[in-house]
Amino acid sequence: MRKKLNSKAVSLALAAATSMSVLAGCGGAATPSQTTDSAETTETQETTTEKETTTDIASSTEEVKVEGFAEAPMLADQVAAGKLPSVDERIPNSDNVFVETVDATGGKLEIGNYGGVINLGGAGGSWGLSRPSLESIIRYNTDGSYYPNVIKSFEHNDDYTVWTFKLREGMKWSDGEPFTADDITFWYYMCHLTNFDSKKSWVALKEDVNGEDAWATLKKVDDYTVTWTFVNPKYPADFIENGDFKWCWAPAHYLSDLIPDSEDYPYVENEYWQSTGLSEEDVLANAQKKNIDAATVKDLGKAVSYNFWNVSGVPTLNSFVLSTVPGNSSKDDTLCIMDRNPYFWKVDAAGNQLPYVDALHFNQTSEDGQDLLMFRSGEIDIITIAMKDIAATLSDLGDAAELREWGTTGWGSYQITFNYTNTDKNYADLFANKDFREAMSICVDRKQVSELLTDGFLEPGQCGPQEGNVGYDAEWQSKWTEYDVEKAKSLLEGCGLEMGADGFYHFADGSDLMLTFLAYDGTADESYPVFEQYYKAVGINCALKNLEVSAFDETIDNNDWVAVMGPHTEIGGASLKDRAAPFVPIAQAAEWYGEYGTFYATKGAQGVEPTGDMAKLVELYDKWRLTSDDGEREEYQAEIYKIHKENLWSIAYLKSEGFYELINSKVKNYADNLVTADCYQYANMTHYEVLFKAE
Amino acid sequence: MSKNSFADGLREFFRKDLVQYIVKRLLMFIPTLLLISILVFFVIQLPPGDYVSAHIAALATEGELVDADYAASMRADYGLDLPIWQQYVKWVKDIIWTPTDSAYYRLYHSHHNWKYSFAYGRDVWSVVNDRLGLTIGVTAIIMLFQYLVSIPIAVYASTHQYSVGDYISAIIGFLGTAIPNFILAIVLMYLSYKWTGNANVGLFTQEMLKNGIHLYNFGDFLKRMIIPIIVIGTSGTCGIIRSVRAQMLDEVAQQYTLTARAKGVSEGKIIMKYCFRAAINPTVSGLGGVLSSLFSGSTVTALVLNMQIQGPVLYKALQSQDMYLAGAIVMIQAVLVVIGVLLSDIALAFLDPRIRYSGGGR
Repeated sequence: MRKKLNSKAVSLALAAATSMSVLAGCGGAATPSQTTDSAETTETQETTTEKETTTDIASSTEEVKVEGFAEAPMLADQVAAGKLPSVDERIPNSDNVFVETVDATGGKLEIGNYGGVINLGGAGGSWGLSRPSLESIIRYNTDGSYYPNVIKSFEHNDDYTVWTFKLREGMKWSDGEPFTADDITFWYYMCHLTNFDSKKSWVALKEDVNGEDAWATLKKVDDYTVTWTFVNPKYPADFIENGDFKWCWAPAHYLSDLIPDSEDYPYVENEYWQSTGLSEEDVLANAQKKNIDAATVKDLGKAVSYNFWNVSGVPTLNSFVLSTVPGNSSKDDTLCIMDRNPYFWKVDAAGNQLPYVDALHFNQTSEDGQDLLMFRSGEIDIITIAMKDIAATLSDLGDAAELREWGTTGWGSYQITFNYTNTDKNYADLFANKDFREAMSICVDRKQVSELLTDGFLEPGQCGPQEGNVGYDAEWQSKWTEYDVEKAKSLLEGCGLEMGADGFYHFADGSDLMLTFLAYDGTADESYPVFEQYYKAVGINCALKNLEVSAFDETIDNNDWVAVMGPHTEIGGASLKDRAAPFVPIAQAAEWYGEYGTFYATKGAQGVEPTGDMAKLVELYDKWRLTSDDGEREEYQAEIYKIHKENLWSIAYLKSEGFYELINSKVKNYADNLVTADCYQYANMTHYEVLFKAE
Repeated sequence: MSKNSFADGLREFFRKDLVQYIVKRLLMFIPTLLLISILVFFVIQLPPGDYVSAHIAALATEGELVDADYAASMRADYGLDLPIWQQYVKWVKDIIWTPTDSAYYRLYHSHHNWKYSFAYGRDVWSVVNDRLGLTIGVTAIIMLFQYLVSIPIAVYASTHQYSVGDYISAIIGFLGTAIPNFILAIVLMYLSYKWTGNANVGLFTQEMLKNGIHLYNFGDFLKRMIIPIIVIGTSGTCGIIRSVRAQMLDEVAQQYTLTARAKGVSEGKIIMKYCFRAAINPTVSGLGGVLSSLFSGSTVTALVLNMQIQGPVLYKALQSQDMYLAGAIVMIQAVLVVIGVLLSDIALAFLDPRIRYSGGGR
């Protein structure tokens, strides 16, 4: 049994982590601020936080010496048949191999048995196959600490202008070709800087030099060392911790005939690679020879050098690779198979090459609920389950299933927000008035809402960090939550609204006040009628307009809206480090800041210039981004939180709903109390390579 | 009658007026299909936004943010930034004839460019083709079941009007029609789960999806076909039973039947050779839609039962505004309906010589 993380400890640990956790001796033993002697690394995934925090992760590690490697029987057969080199030739030696001993919560892993298959629901989306298989530059623990993963170590110089990555000698691509510094220079100069991967916008490798965008200089020091050099200091938050920067490699040996040198994708001068001289048409034809179907070079580039896990045949460093058998080799296939990577570079404490299971099977279903049926009949091993279905399913299945509860980082459920950049001054002024927001918050009886919409499962709450997360504040959680109709009405009158003959408030100039709540894909269909009666009871006339999600996004982007029920991009999250855009108006992303975000994203070319507290958020964000001082960063973030607490630009009525999974009890090493967040790559935190099925 | 009556029949059948009729009908295909293609193309574009906005919304849900420049260049690449009529003209032109010197031809060696499915990241034709065989197979089995079950029942019910058997078949038939397919599907899946521990979701077991269908697992496949056959089959049978039964009752009361009976023709011959042949007409003219449904299958039921046939592909394509894929499927369906109607008209003429094609009395 795994110990449950005490929420106070998580909170403390997360607080420490937002500054920056320094890890020692972990999978490469890098410390972000100090140079590490790679010869000394004991290659066990041992994590210790620098600060004196009590986390289970720090206390549950032990050192493991790995002597000799073992492999799965199916691979041993292939070795015996002469189809595959021996395991010692396939994976890095004991100095360089990654030894996985603990899960992301710090729980000690069991030594597993080989074989079997883990059945999952459909892969869905562009990222579905990557979550359980992707190996990224670094990996996070639930307490926010992190360690080098694919790379052996990372370090930086004193002024943060030069970052050095060391690679694992002897590491190979899934097709057996060596993985070296050349694959990094190839990715950077041929795929990334040409924008072939469509992601040249990544801030991790970009900086501002004299008002112009400039990109890092990448140098190959030797086959297993590269350096990234910047003109200005490049702090961890903007580089190694940046959520976009998950990889910086591509299989040069496989992709070199797929890179065009054309008007849209011109060759970028560098000392390592020459122009391929290929036209866009050549490249598409070459792709077709590799069974890659793409209509445009943009699609091709994004497929092979960005969402590469979705393309059958592209070598990867991931734990599982897409099958090449037609019918099972696409995420759109009814049964999509990812087979174990025979060259995977991680082992368990006993030296057994990971992953344990032979394959991941993704079973596509067409309707909600089918996966639950398949889970019940044992055809699927792991599913996401809604809170309301848990009790019945568990009581039916008894010991055959186990529950896994994930911490969430959302800021409360049943959120509404307003368009603060509405072009109608009446609305913009009204929304800017805090009293109006308070009235909209307290006119609702949260207890009744909880009963009506969640059978009392979710408690009343407010829009802010939830218990157990960074920035949790009990006062914030209860701010403007007392149900008080009279007070709400007097607040509304204080906003200059006047009661009309129809029983609804009007603007002072006599024009109608109508809160048309936008919602997408029917997510508010059930809840809106409940809220409507409260709003109307205090004299706020309102309506619901449901749109299909892309039309919804377009309406938001066009600034053609008044209010939103259930925003597409909710305010807040785990921390700024996780993803800053939901916290501060810096992108064309979240509803709660509307056009203010566009202003920052376009450097003032479009959008509305933020003022007051909105402007303060941006100011603090820039300061936060441009400092290496942990203490300062923590302060800036705390200030940003304080401004949010003060303003409550979004209102939530109930606490956040948790994220739950049911797993087949035979599946072992599946940690409980993981955290679902973008920077942790959601299900990636499960570490599928260590899961095994008990015999 | 002479020995050559069948050959004579054929000769009589393909008489001049019918050939002219067929040619006329074939010529009418062109404006009909053009009109349909315009309708299809514009209706698919009706919802606000396009594939790019739908795609970006989906990426945002996964946590990937895409900047406006990327969206704009994606639109340009796909030609979505052109005025809609230009997009339409290009679409139709490329389907009809893609020249040999085009990039598409060099890549795919085909003169018919159905364009590209954004969501699947593949040539539309390859996506459609993937599920074609299975869709036709599954739908054919189900239709065969429908006709094999419903027609004998209808004949029985009409010759035994108001008997217990007639009532029972009516009740079952009405239930089959009245219960929405998706509810019946859910109920059957539930019962299957309750009784066997397996809900039988989907047409295939995982083993079949991995290793393909062979003789040794064909039994399992048939087991999986039970629910779809019951659900889709029963919904159609009632219609056929009722119409054939009503027609049969009409025919049985006709003068010629009485005459035949009076002349001592056997009852079996009267029913099968005369009454049934006349009663089947409406069913045959209804076959026009069969080709099209063979191609697409039943969408809602396929979704509920997780059947890997064409219907759900179209549904998803419409949802994600994958317009060329949706356009191709709807267009092919339309073509098949038009062809199906023609074929059913010809079949009708064969069945019932009284039907004439040229105008005016003879």
